[in-house]
Amino acid sequence: MSLDQTSLDGPEIPEYMRVRPIEISTATMVQWLKPEPVGEAERSWVEQLEPGDYEIYDEKLKNILDEAREIFVRSGVTNLLTAGDLIVAIYTANGDLANASAGTYLHCVTGCLPVKYVMHKYYSDPTVRVEAGDIFYTNEARYGGIHNPDQMAFMPVFHEGELIAWTAALAHQPETGAIEPGGMPILARSRSDEGMKLTPIKIGQDYRIKRDLLDMMVNFIDRSPRMQEIDTRARVTGADRLRVRVQELAVAKGNDFVRGLLRKLVLEAEESARRRIARWNDGTYRAVAFADTIGREPALVRGMLTATKRHDSIHMDFSGTSPENDSSYNAFPHIVAAHAAIFLFAYPFHDLPASNGTLAPFEWDIPEGSVLNAAPNAAISNSPPLCCIVMTSVTLALSKMMFDSEDRDKIGAPNGNMGSEIIFSGTSQHEMPYADLDGCTLNTEGQGARPDMDGVNAYGFPWAHAGRAPDAEFYEDEYPFLRLFYHLRRDSGGFGKWQGGLGTETAIAPRHVPTMFWSSIGKSTHISVASGLFGGYPSSASPGIWVSGTDLWEKMNRGDQDLPEDAVSVAADRALQGEYLLEHLTRLTRIGYSGDLIVQLAAGGGGYGDVLERDPDLVLNDLKNGQISSWTAKEVYQIRYEEDSLILDETATEETRDSARQTRLKRGKPWDEFISEWSKLSPNPEALKYFGTWPEGVAETPVVRI
Amino acid sequence: MKRSITESLVANTESLEWECRRCQHTLGPVAENYKKGCLIAQRDPKEIWEPLIEGVLNFSYDATWSRIVEFYCPGCGALLEVEMLPPGHPLTHDIELDLTMFTDENSADRSSKDSAQ
Repeated sequence: MSLDQTSLDGPEIPEYMRVRPIEISTATMVQWLKPEPVGEAERSWVEQLEPGDYEIYDEKLKNILDEAREIFVRSGVTNLLTAGDLIVAIYTANGDLANASAGTYLHCVTGCLPVKYVMHKYYSDPTVRVEAGDIFYTNEARYGGIHNPDQMAFMPVFHEGELIAWTAALAHQPETGAIEPGGMPILARSRSDEGMKLTPIKIGQDYRIKRDLLDMMVNFIDRSPRMQEIDTRARVTGADRLRVRVQELAVAKGNDFVRGLLRKLVLEAEESARRRIARWNDGTYRAVAFADTIGREPALVRGMLTATKRHDSIHMDFSGTSPENDSSYNAFPHIVAAHAAIFLFAYPFHDLPASNGTLAPFEWDIPEGSVLNAAPNAAISNSPPLCCIVMTSVTLALSKMMFDSEDRDKIGAPNGNMGSEIIFSGTSQHEMPYADLDGCTLNTEGQGARPDMDGVNAYGFPWAHAGRAPDAEFYEDEYPFLRLFYHLRRDSGGFGKWQGGLGTETAIAPRHVPTMFWSSIGKSTHISVASGLFGGYPSSASPGIWVSGTDLWEKMNRGDQDLPEDAVSVAADRALQGEYLLEHLTRLTRIGYSGDLIVQLAAGGGGYGDVLERDPDLVLNDLKNGQISSWTAKEVYQIRYEEDSLILDETATEETRDSARQTRLKRGKPWDEFISEWSKLSPNPEALKYFGTWPEGVAETPVVRI
Repeated sequence: MKRSITESLVANTESLEWECRRCQHTLGPVAENYKKGCLIAQRDPKEIWEPLIEGVLNFSYDATWSRIVEFYCPGCGALLEVEMLPPGHPLTHDIELDLTMFTDENSADRSSKDSAQ
């Protein structure tokens, strides 16, 4: 469905500012990810750069970007912003991303599309125009954004009356005025349930935010109005600091220099990416990944990728992916590309500019009607959790593509890819309305293992690698709960020759207030999305645990010594009185009462290689450090040691591992025999409710959204 | 010439056969899915992750939702690849190399030897 066929790229627009027209629809916005054609003037500005200019001023731009990011973080208040789930970016005058300082690479895709939309639609529109001092704002996926918690401020940069660049600052806002608190409503069934969605609009002129429009936004976000106002200003502050620095550069070096430099960054990024891709083996690489929820209920959702690499380009075909559904776990193609970018910019292209030029070698083929290319009226506020299936399948397919090349050091098993978070809202102990989420589990998932090392424990947030877990005490200060424990989670990393990094686990209990609304997001309860690579195992299972009506405060007042210290002891020892509920890690909004215990788990990363190839001394170290259990050491890694001293028995270990290989040979069946038995199986019918036909995944019924 | 295509798999560019990197056992033509040359087993997730409490959600995975499928070298028992799949889900043909790069490579080798002679 086309949302807008209007194109206003008239002859009065200089060539370097033009955006090639596309059909504006949710299915086609991804086409603007390709860099714009380079005209004669722009080519000459690139060629006018003197030797050394590019190298020196590329570095200067990075410093400017980092400065603006720091200003942005220090100006904001919500924890995903302060944790680093953000980007500040600089674009050419026609919206190509030249470079960015990125906490998350998602917005290397979803940032440039709204800029192109404004240039395409509004530059020549006399009722809007683009002028010096303008401040634009958006959070709408239909026009190139991602889910609506991700809000973006962007500003044109003028010098001597000419448009020379755009700047932007974008970060996640944990409240959108949707039908549930937290910005990612699990119960949303259509876009009408998802709260504020701003098309790209001008919220400021003459470098000042318009009070009436700010009030409009705050009015939408009345569960946390203070946060909305402060963070809107923070975004504008970040974009404006960048704007000032770019103008200073133009004063010093001239407009042509700035425009040439920005375009050269885009061109160099593409050329470098193509050179790198050309050295990987040509072929077709397939991967499949599963999520186990559509939010309101557990369900299998399949992501299927066929990546075909020829010379210096890669065709990404997601045919076979599950059909769209009437939950908020749907996405659009540019959102898929954004999730592929998370791997691409962090691993194979980590040293290239965070530019859409780097992504130019990729073609995207995402079937309409699939969960990754849903109808324009679909709810998509949980598209990032859904797109874990993209992150895993892209990591697997490209790691297999790249192994036999000099880029082997740039691959790895998938990270935890769970997006584990508790979302909470209400009125705080300071009598302030709040709606936020717990960045502690979110930012401490395990990294996937690498070809020559274990994954990093609690490495970060797979959607925003540079994200930092906030101090646990920050939350207790700001919000009405106590954090009972928060630490690494044993056995959570995927087992293998190299082990996936551990995730974490935490438990919080509402206090100071009688009640707190909460829900949670996560997955890998029934099937892991953090797959292993080359014989490594996936990460471990992650249930959600809730204990209501506890005697926690009484026990703490008495100084009882048997308070639970981890998730397993909560569920196994049951030292707390109360009602215990174990369920999927994605949990609907409910009321938590003072003293209830909410346990949330973060996934480990996938393992790499055969477990029997892991150095037994490393296994023993893991055991000593509490990273794995004795059961895992013996039953999975097959090592033998003295129980008291934990000294390795090398001979017994070698014999045990030889025996384990013999057991595999007895257990394994030839292809035909295995397929004959295997193909008769099917999953629990509960798992297939939204899968489509089994096993093809073809939609069986049309999706109806009201 | 042998090329390491994965941590555990080698492609012999002359015989055009897959080989186990550990024991050099052949696993069939490179033009085919190497998994067809493997021994394959499906395992209950509880064999990999110990159930720690009673009940369906026990910190291991529910076998009605997912299984571990393991691909072994028939020569030495090395674990070449693992897939976590819903029971009965088709196995993934994950690597399908463009063989023209090997034939081009072999012709280049031959012409370089011819030149040397």
